[in-house]
Amino acid sequence: MKVSFFETGRYVTPPGMSREWPVPSGEYDPETGARAYQAMIERLRYVEELGFDWVSLSEHHYSPRILTPSPPLAAANVAAQVKRIKIALLGPIVPQANPVRLAEELAMVDTMAEGRLIVGMLRGTTNEALTYDLNPHEARERTDEGMELVLKAWTEPQPFGWQGRHYQYRTVSIWPRPLQQPHPPTYALGTSAESCEFAARNHLGLGVSYGSFEGMAKATGYYRQRCAEYGWEPGPDQIIYRANMLLAESDDKAEAQLKTGNGQAPFPVRAGLRDALIEADRRNIAGEARTANVGGILPTTFIGGPDTIVAQIKRCREVIGAGVIDISLHPPGSNDVDALMSAVEMFGTKVLPRIRDI
Amino acid sequence: MAEAGLTAAPGAAFREGIVEADGFRIRYCEAGEGAPLVHLHGAGGLRLTRAHDLLARHYRVIAFEMPGFGTSAENTRSQTMADYALTMVRAADALGLDRVNLWGTSFGGKCALWLAVQAPERLLALVLESPAAMRPPGAGPASGTPDQMARQLYGHPERMPAIVPPPPAVAAQTRALVGRLMGPGRDPDLEARMRRLDVPTLVLCGTLDRLIPSEIGRLYKEMMPNCQLVLVYDAGHVIAAERPEAFTEVVADFLERHEAFVISRHETVLYP
Repeated sequence: MKVSFFETGRYVTPPGMSREWPVPSGEYDPETGARAYQAMIERLRYVEELGFDWVSLSEHHYSPRILTPSPPLAAANVAAQVKRIKIALLGPIVPQANPVRLAEELAMVDTMAEGRLIVGMLRGTTNEALTYDLNPHEARERTDEGMELVLKAWTEPQPFGWQGRHYQYRTVSIWPRPLQQPHPPTYALGTSAESCEFAARNHLGLGVSYGSFEGMAKATGYYRQRCAEYGWEPGPDQIIYRANMLLAESDDKAEAQLKTGNGQAPFPVRAGLRDALIEADRRNIAGEARTANVGGILPTTFIGGPDTIVAQIKRCREVIGAGVIDISLHPPGSNDVDALMSAVEMFGTKVLPRIRDI
Repeated sequence: MAEAGLTAAPGAAFREGIVEADGFRIRYCEAGEGAPLVHLHGAGGLRLTRAHDLLARHYRVIAFEMPGFGTSAENTRSQTMADYALTMVRAADALGLDRVNLWGTSFGGKCALWLAVQAPERLLALVLESPAAMRPPGAGPASGTPDQMARQLYGHPERMPAIVPPPPAVAAQTRALVGRLMGPGRDPDLEARMRRLDVPTLVLCGTLDRLIPSEIGRLYKEMMPNCQLVLVYDAGHVIAAERPEAFTEVVADFLERHEAFVISRHETVLYP
């Protein structure tokens, strides 16, 4: 089992900050932000020392919750200062990107990172459609077309035009190309039938997140089925499960910590907007309809002391088939970076050595 | 968006005609005004698409039914694609055409290439739609039941009208003709001439082409000195039939501006 540490930047918010997304840009304090990026590097050096396999970064905008609106930029900064760990971008939001530019930037990062990049591409969470004026009804089509264009930009040796539905280019010929050939390990992220199909057809891995083991297994099962139709079998490293983890000294302490969270997502959109977004953004797990999570808190599916966590990781491997877990160790609803660092240390010393053979 | 003339069946505005050329009676369909755009069809024969209608708004589109296809008499005379291409030059002569834009689809793409390398002075530009001049081992024309053929020809067969196969006798005739003229997957003689062909050329490949994978497009781009490669997303082998608007936009732009077609003319002003 490989373990990826999900890094968000950890901007420490002062009390009394606005809680609604988008959080006013004027409430950002540049000094606090600067400290957050420095702390990110220190934390990742420690994570690397403990033996985590990857660090992961996501793309979110307009709030203190995540300080990485540009994953490639964040990755380049990490790559320059943390020299051995793999860097997984899970992942760039394709439908609001210029796919050719994304292919170029990822090629730059992979090369600057000396071949340590891992790429997951996705449609993005529902509220992200608001960031750059993306019509949620077009998100799926734009994602599928954009992902295919990224793959072509990475691998087509001759200059080519792209006559798409949503993207049009006359002559694409990227320099640099990725250091890893034909391209970095790449995943489609999402539980939908569309993500599974794209991943299977293009021989990519699949990343699923936050749902119960049984729920996620529906997606990974469907993905494996589609891969078989396309004549191949994915390895365990090609399935990532991103999840919240609450690791404490004991099961009781973990349950107690879970209860201290206030059950609220940190920076939700307002209710009327939330309802309209849920209406506009249909999601599915392997074709079975599911409601988008808009402003709802994400579940924690690994909870307990070290022994329990080890058992849960084993179960995760059996049920979902994931060979990579991408874990968020943040204490729920809390800014407490010290608590985060204790959990990181505890995982690194008391769990990580025991799960290598899973 | 329905527009005048485009709610009718594809090709409804095209008039039929016959020319005598090189000892053959050759049927053709024609519509539109302006510079001539001659179309040479694929192994499935002449089938007008919405792209023909759209292109006829900018060009005088002349789609030939090549000798031995469709309702024409069996063709046991044409022995090589090079000769077949010269027959089509005679057909253009018979219509009084001087220099033309030439569009070839698949099998017709190989014919168009032979025409281009033998008579480059007759061409303003060359459009190769899923050309069959270079094919990986095992790649051949669509075959089998109409359903099987649809899956080979289209990226999304479920969105396309059913393929109506010709009567078995006609199918056998054209299969023999195509087999004879198609030749091997690679033709060093043709390719040597392609390397010297200066005619502005546009090669289009559909990303879902299951007959000739779109990766083959790069060979044309690499080989030909004045060639542009465009991948048409989400289209199979018969691009013009599946994505007529996307096909027409890039073909019409290329025919008008040649290599300058890389300069965008998209207007992005939202409001004044």
